[in-house]
Amino acid sequence: MLTQSMREEIQALMARYPEGRQRSAILPALYVIQREFGYCPVEAQKELAEMLGIEPAEVGGVVTFYNMLHEEPKGEYHIEVCTNVPCMLRGAGKCMHHLEERLGIRHGEKTPDGAFALDHMECLGSCGSAPMAMVTEQSTGRIRYFEELDSPEDVDKFLALLKSGKAFQTLERWTPDGDPELEGVSAGPYRYGGMEPRYLMARVGKPGGHRLESYEADGGYQTARRVLHEMTPQEVIDQVKASGIRGRGGAGFPTGVKWGFIPKDVFPRYLVVNADESEPGTFKDRIIMEYDPHQLIEGIILSAFAIQAERAFIYIRGEYYFGYTRLTEAIQEAEAKGYLGQNIFGTDKNLQIVVHRGAGAYECGEETAQLTSLEGYRGHPRLKPPFPAVEGLYGKPTIVNNVESIANVTHVMRHGVEWYRQFGTEQSPGMRIFCLSGNVKRPGIYELPHGVTLRELIYDYGGGPEQDDAPIKAIVPGGLSMKILTADQIDTPLDYESIQAAGSLLGSAGVIVIDEAHSMVQVARRTLNFYREESCGKCTPCREGTAWLEEILERIEAGQGRLKDLELMEYLAANITGKSFCPFGDAAVWGLQSNLAKFRQEFTEWIQRTNPEQAGPEIPIRPIYRPDVERPSGLRESALEPRGEPIELHDHEIPANEVPAPNNPVQDIPASKKR
Amino acid sequence: MADQATADRVTLTINGREVSVPAGTLLVDAAATVNIEIPIFCSHPKLDPVGCCRMCMVEVETPRGPRLMTACTTPVQPNMVVHTDTEQVRSVQEANLAFILANHPLDCPICDKGGECPLQDQTLRFGPGISLLVEPKRHKQKHYLLSDTIVLDQERCILCWRCIRYLEEWEDKPQIQLFERGADTVIDVQDGQVLDAKTSGNIIDICPVGALTNRVARFSYRPWQVEHTPSICDHCSLGCNLRMDSRTHRLRRIVGRENMQVNDQWICDKGRFAHAWVNHPERLREPLLRKNGELVPVPWREALEFVAEALQRIAQEAGPQAVGAIGSPKLSNESNYALQRLFRGVIGTNNVDHRDGGDVAALPTGLPALAHVMKPQYGPDPKVDTVFLFGLDPSEELPLLDVHLKRAVRRAGMKLIIAHPRRIELTRYQGPYLGYEPGTEVALLNGLARAVLEAGAPLPRQAQAHADRLREWVADADEAMMADLCRVDPAAVQEAARLLAESENALILYGPMVARGKQGPDVRQALINLALLTGHEEGLAYLGLEANSQGCRDVGLLPDRLPGHVPLEDAQAVQRLERLWQCKLPTEPGLTYSQMLDQAGGGVRALYVMGADPASERPSWAENLEQLELLVVQDLFLTETARRAHVVLPAVSWAEQEGTFTNLERRVQRAPRAVRDPHTKAAPDWMILDHLAMHLDVDWPFADERGITAEISRAAPIYQGLDWDALGDQGRQWDASLARPKLAFGPARQRAVPADPERPFVLVTGTVLYDGGALVSLTEELQQFAFGSKAVLHPQDAQRLGIDEGEAITVASPEGSLALTATLQEQVKPGTIWIPESLPGAPVGALLNGVYPVRVNVAKSGA
Repeated sequence: MLTQSMREEIQALMARYPEGRQRSAILPALYVIQREFGYCPVEAQKELAEMLGIEPAEVGGVVTFYNMLHEEPKGEYHIEVCTNVPCMLRGAGKCMHHLEERLGIRHGEKTPDGAFALDHMECLGSCGSAPMAMVTEQSTGRIRYFEELDSPEDVDKFLALLKSGKAFQTLERWTPDGDPELEGVSAGPYRYGGMEPRYLMARVGKPGGHRLESYEADGGYQTARRVLHEMTPQEVIDQVKASGIRGRGGAGFPTGVKWGFIPKDVFPRYLVVNADESEPGTFKDRIIMEYDPHQLIEGIILSAFAIQAERAFIYIRGEYYFGYTRLTEAIQEAEAKGYLGQNIFGTDKNLQIVVHRGAGAYECGEETAQLTSLEGYRGHPRLKPPFPAVEGLYGKPTIVNNVESIANVTHVMRHGVEWYRQFGTEQSPGMRIFCLSGNVKRPGIYELPHGVTLRELIYDYGGGPEQDDAPIKAIVPGGLSMKILTADQIDTPLDYESIQAAGSLLGSAGVIVIDEAHSMVQVARRTLNFYREESCGKCTPCREGTAWLEEILERIEAGQGRLKDLELMEYLAANITGKSFCPFGDAAVWGLQSNLAKFRQEFTEWIQRTNPEQAGPEIPIRPIYRPDVERPSGLRESALEPRGEPIELHDHEIPANEVPAPNNPVQDIPASKKR
Repeated sequence: MADQATADRVTLTINGREVSVPAGTLLVDAAATVNIEIPIFCSHPKLDPVGCCRMCMVEVETPRGPRLMTACTTPVQPNMVVHTDTEQVRSVQEANLAFILANHPLDCPICDKGGECPLQDQTLRFGPGISLLVEPKRHKQKHYLLSDTIVLDQERCILCWRCIRYLEEWEDKPQIQLFERGADTVIDVQDGQVLDAKTSGNIIDICPVGALTNRVARFSYRPWQVEHTPSICDHCSLGCNLRMDSRTHRLRRIVGRENMQVNDQWICDKGRFAHAWVNHPERLREPLLRKNGELVPVPWREALEFVAEALQRIAQEAGPQAVGAIGSPKLSNESNYALQRLFRGVIGTNNVDHRDGGDVAALPTGLPALAHVMKPQYGPDPKVDTVFLFGLDPSEELPLLDVHLKRAVRRAGMKLIIAHPRRIELTRYQGPYLGYEPGTEVALLNGLARAVLEAGAPLPRQAQAHADRLREWVADADEAMMADLCRVDPAAVQEAARLLAESENALILYGPMVARGKQGPDVRQALINLALLTGHEEGLAYLGLEANSQGCRDVGLLPDRLPGHVPLEDAQAVQRLERLWQCKLPTEPGLTYSQMLDQAGGGVRALYVMGADPASERPSWAENLEQLELLVVQDLFLTETARRAHVVLPAVSWAEQEGTFTNLERRVQRAPRAVRDPHTKAAPDWMILDHLAMHLDVDWPFADERGITAEISRAAPIYQGLDWDALGDQGRQWDASLARPKLAFGPARQRAVPADPERPFVLVTGTVLYDGGALVSLTEELQQFAFGSKAVLHPQDAQRLGIDEGEAITVASPEGSLALTATLQEQVKPGTIWIPESLPGAPVGALLNGVYPVRVNVAKSGA
């Protein structure tokens, strides 16, 4: 089934990974297969399994784990609308509704001509330009974002552009306003701003800023050249440690300290850049990769030098196709210049960077799950200890750092520790890209020092509440996983300690603002939809608990809630958090727990309004199970007692009617009931 | 306060009790040592920890207060303080069971696992008591076939990963995987693929719920109603320990039983599922005597009188040498011992043998010990660092040895050297593979010896004196001969020689395939040379493949050996046996199995065949058997041989009589009776022979099988002390040093390999697990796995001859021809054709005539 050229393409992908680790190429190879066939046919999976030297079931397990891999064909244009909370707050529901009307299909369906398929999607990292849709062009496997689809007219323009065939002339994001002539031209970077001057986003918006010449013209790669020639790895680690950079992915663990955990004298070591930015409300890494990829690459060179790794992987979420192309081009440019590859910058150092696309699994943002995924398996988290720094990718010492953390390394090494520590607070030094989404006038990303207050961010940069008659009700300070703050906590400074003191965590600095026009019941329901969808299924509490909570919330929303469901949810949530295998379990219920604690009144009112009689659902009648009896049971057969020990060969006749009929007559083997 | 933990022991406190365990022990196991039960599902002592079910949460005191941890993934630390019974732990256990049960179908009344189900037990002890769920339950696939033998119920599955991990960690065939994710996660096989790992049934035993059930046994037992009989498997020479569950005189199911010296706790699928034959309606139920050309039922007395009279008459008329007895390596020591005692002591002939008995160049002592190749989860590293498999295919022939070897290769870095004309499954592991041309075995072994000598590494002391002579004997086995005659890569030969020479403790194992026939003694000598040269003479072993191949030899079912591997010339031993048996023993060596059958109807006029079916093996033997004056067949079924018999005596199976079997590492193990059918006249083998002896006017002293077991321990010195009670449930090995021959260097000559342009292919035979034998063919669930009447060719050869997959072909040798279906596999060496033994309706013996190698011609049928 796989053609020669596909096999060659897959072999080239396999060659990108270390010897004996070719299984890592499974996701890229499945993208090749899906591009050719529109889905991943079982026969092709089998042939791929042969190429990778694994069992076909292992390929099947991977295909069904990742959202972006399909077991049956989607339309030529696969439209996926983000309906997660930040988009929901900005009208994703209406956007979806318009699309359904215009295309004449429901979500989850395909138009009869096979041109369009429509689906819900979880957060796509466009929270600042919501509502939005991601479109996959089947025949090429390319993906483009279409954003700010606020009105029915916008949706019409979007569909008209798709039908015109000009929609994929570029892969940079598209908005209706940015392309009034419907030529498919790009809209440029989404809304950004913040302090002056900016560092992490200094070069965003600069024409050609993603090019190597432009980056070098701004002084790029000089730091890397200098450090590689003049410093030792330990000095870099020490400096990063002194700078106090804390991980920007969510946990906030000090980057330099993490680097220090690598055991001495164990090689090879790997650097994995976590670009699987999937936390709803977070869209900061995307802008770095799309508009200043060389900043990241220089950071990778510095970091890999520090931990003495010769291979780095950028694990980028599959949906960030444009960022993927920009990174790939940038790496090629850097390789051509000798900044990557063998003997980089004329030193004896080598560094190879592989950009590895994920395929739609939030769980793969967790560092051990990411490594498992990168090794070519389903993205399940692994036991810790051993921690990745000791035993990570391919069982070797591995540092997993977030994109923004790595970008910070570039600036620390360029400007020095003192300079860096002048920003932010003692415990949360440096600047941060804050993602602002939800019900504000100017959602977007803003680079500001740690310690800026929520009020400054929301009012000075975000322009205050979206609608003047709907005041702010709740704020999620660090991505959807984090506990919700109430409006009266708006003066909390955005640094790790202050947010923690306020009862939440800074997380990935994705600030989601919720106004009075929106129901917290809905927010809770949509949040659990997301975690049910994204739970990897490895451990019991998370797998079963998220689904159970989702069902309860959907029932409440549908007007079947009972007040005692609130206690039940609290009980379930309490037995997920801290009990699950990885932090996903905590992330799944923190929002709900804080929501129930702080906005309980809304839930109570909702239930009393929609279900005044408290007529709870009856326990459904359990299905009657009928075993598939393919043969009569042997259980009822008569039990004649043995007639004692035969002391010699016995010749007495047994009457024929006493001889039991054989209970297992040979029958035709029933056809296997395989799907 | 106890002293601080020593280097290898750790002391901690669990529920206020001080516990001292080896470092590295997991909390769950540490608690078990003081009878504190921590509930588990995913944790299993034979599998790597995964920590996914979250059932085993316990409280561990930390400087920051008590912390919940999974006891199945946390190793003990010195001075750790652990609580398993706090309020918090109890509420977590309740909640976790509530999660597990939320979508469980609770169909316990009709679940096979009910009554022996950890989920039921844990719910009883640790569960919440009530359900809080009011939502509709999730539905998934029920009674869904993973294969013809294993049924999956996805609704009952709690996703503990045990089955997945077994197939990955032990079988190295991850054919079951998780599919989908989150709440939709299920275990499944890939679409269009079937679970065909040869030990797949073990996942049923370790499933902690009723998700995986045994299709052969399903709905036919309740666990509390069956009788458990600890026994052993009778399918191959590994002797896996198993348990037979029976009720109302029927064998209901077979499950694995732990024996850490033999099979860990695993058994293969043939052993587990292929038992329908025990209670099969086609079983013989009464004696048959040929009258007017028809076999008709007669009373026992009449049948036995007829046999006794005829045997006596023929032995008198033509001499005892005209009478022969064939026993069976599928039957117990007791049955075979009684047979050879009857024919040696009463008839007076040494014509006693079994298939692959006197015809193969064996060595008497088998494997040093299976434990030496095992890599148990929490055990010592295997002693053996290198295994050289010569003419053996453990994946098909000895599935549990295959599992042990894979585990040792993957977890302990054991090296594998494989010499086999076919690329057997184990060649997927790194290591030299010598795919030699059939018939060039001696040359290959000489080539290995030459490579060892040429490498110039220091030789073992006892080999140094012989180095020059050996160098001369193997001088011609140079690289050119390896490449041209054996058609193997000389570099692989050198690599194999290097590994053997460097190994501290290697096993050199060979099987009947290379030890049969005229070249057998030369192969054995070449192997002895190689083993002595590399210092591995104690690791050199012949492995018989049948359940009691070793036992048959031990109890003297050989034409030239008395019980205990004693040569006929050993006057002292003969005297001792004559005293024991109260008779005069013949001194002339007897005929081997194939000689008896070749001469049947000629020099041999009467044959007593117990548990063997030579007629289906070779058409020429079937014809010979028809020429006999007397053919007595004692068997379970009306076999091809029985159809030609004058008298057919119905026997009962290993499950219905007691007996001991000796496995390939000389472990004598008990197989007690598990079922007894009161409706049959069939009788245990020993009892038939005992009564026959009575009709021959000899009174044997046996009251039951155990009496024979006791006599064997007196008749065969190597079995001294091994009576029924001494063997226990785990068996005992006899001491190899009692029977180990003194190995000596000697020349081994490669015979000329015949060329025949008319017949361009060389025939390769061998054994497959799912062959056409009665054990498999009477188990309907195994039919899809059965090999069928197939011949396997290399695709290149097939292309050259224009043969497609599945096409009908004719394979012809000078002896005869066979009609078969062609199958194409890369694993078969070009220029060879592979036809396993005992395929349904296609006896590969039709092409053999005792000559090796056999050249054949292959053509499309009708062409």
